Amino acid sequence: MKMKVVFLNLLLVVAMAVPASAHFQMIYTPEIAKNKGAETDVKLVFTHPFEAGHTMKMGMPEEFFMLHQKGEEGKIKKYDLKKLLKPITWTSLTNSGEAYEAKLPKKIVRSMGDYTLVLVPAPYYEGEEDIYIQQITKTYMNVGGLPGNWAAPAGLKTEWVPLVKPYAMWTGMTFKAQLLSDGKPVPNADVEVEYMNHEPDMKNNAFKKEEKAHAPHDAFVTMGVKTDAQGYVTFAIPKAGWWGFCALGSGPDKEFKGKELSQDAVIWIKAVDM
Amino acid sequence: MKKIISKLVVAAGLIVLSATAALAHSPLCSCFDNGDGTVLCEGGFSDGSSASGVKMFVRDDSGAVVLKGAMNEDSEFEFKKPAGHYTVTFDGGEGHSIEIDGSDIVE
Repeated sequence: MKMKVVFLNLLLVVAMAVPASAHFQMIYTPEIAKNKGAETDVKLVFTHPFEAGHTMKMGMPEEFFMLHQKGEEGKIKKYDLKKLLKPITWTSLTNSGEAYEAKLPKKIVRSMGDYTLVLVPAPYYEGEEDIYIQQITKTYMNVGGLPGNWAAPAGLKTEWVPLVKPYAMWTGMTFKAQLLSDGKPVPNADVEVEYMNHEPDMKNNAFKKEEKAHAPHDAFVTMGVKTDAQGYVTFAIPKAGWWGFCALGSGPDKEFKGKELSQDAVIWIKAVDM
Repeated sequence: MKKIISKLVVAAGLIVLSATAALAHSPLCSCFDNGDGTVLCEGGFSDGSSASGVKMFVRDDSGAVVLKGAMNEDSEFEFKKPAGHYTVTFDGGEGHSIEIDGSDIVE
């Protein structure tokens, strides 16, 4: 009997020791600094990237689009990508969840310049907390090295605006971005940072089992930073690969279907070794 | 005298600045075969500036110019694909030119 109690206690301790990793909406494509435009595979996955942990079931996104600008004086073109979305099942290390993929045809990604990929997902109901989460997410691509609109806001309810070219980061560089809500800076916001520690396997719609880094402590799984008085964060990138920044509850919408809504802003950047 | 010196310093500074600006950017040009007998080239510079007005030349195998024109206001130059082997030159001036082999221009 005593043994049973000890075992149950142990179980509880183990359950509580599970790291509190953060939700991150991903927009993933392997290469974002391209010499030539080519057909591009994109995966949309709502998961816990450092641990390749629990993957949440995504609903059909509210919006998925791309902004392209060829040179700083070029006109910004908007492409609706929602019609290209197809449901997939994404396999994490612990479960499988409903996600989406899109194949961007070469004709819309062949030109030189910047491409901003924007996802406004459907709010996700988080049963444990009895709240909805909506992570408005951006990532970037460039073709041919001709810069465009990477530093311009996309006009989202809440978003990160980078001050460093997000597709041209060497490992060790400092990333800086400003957090906006309805176009205005958000001071003192809580920001979670995670490293995509398990490489996505594009063919099998899964995370690879091998981890790239090992966290010595739970606090290193999801790092915490805050925006300053003008809504800026700075973060030196310690390792090559993908880094996600998520500002919690930074958006103006606070309620969905009568429940609390956390409308977050997410940006993904990629660093490469010199 | 002081005035003259300060004017000279400003003038020298301007020359240095403009020389830096001219050297700090690299030319960029990319061409596609549209698949309908035409080729579209687009250009620009690595600092994001426009290639509008940059001269464009299409040469045949012997190096003779068969077509010439300039990048339009959208930094684009479209032309009818010549028969046989050809090259395209983006002529952004000394140190700012690019030559693209026609065999590398695909759909």
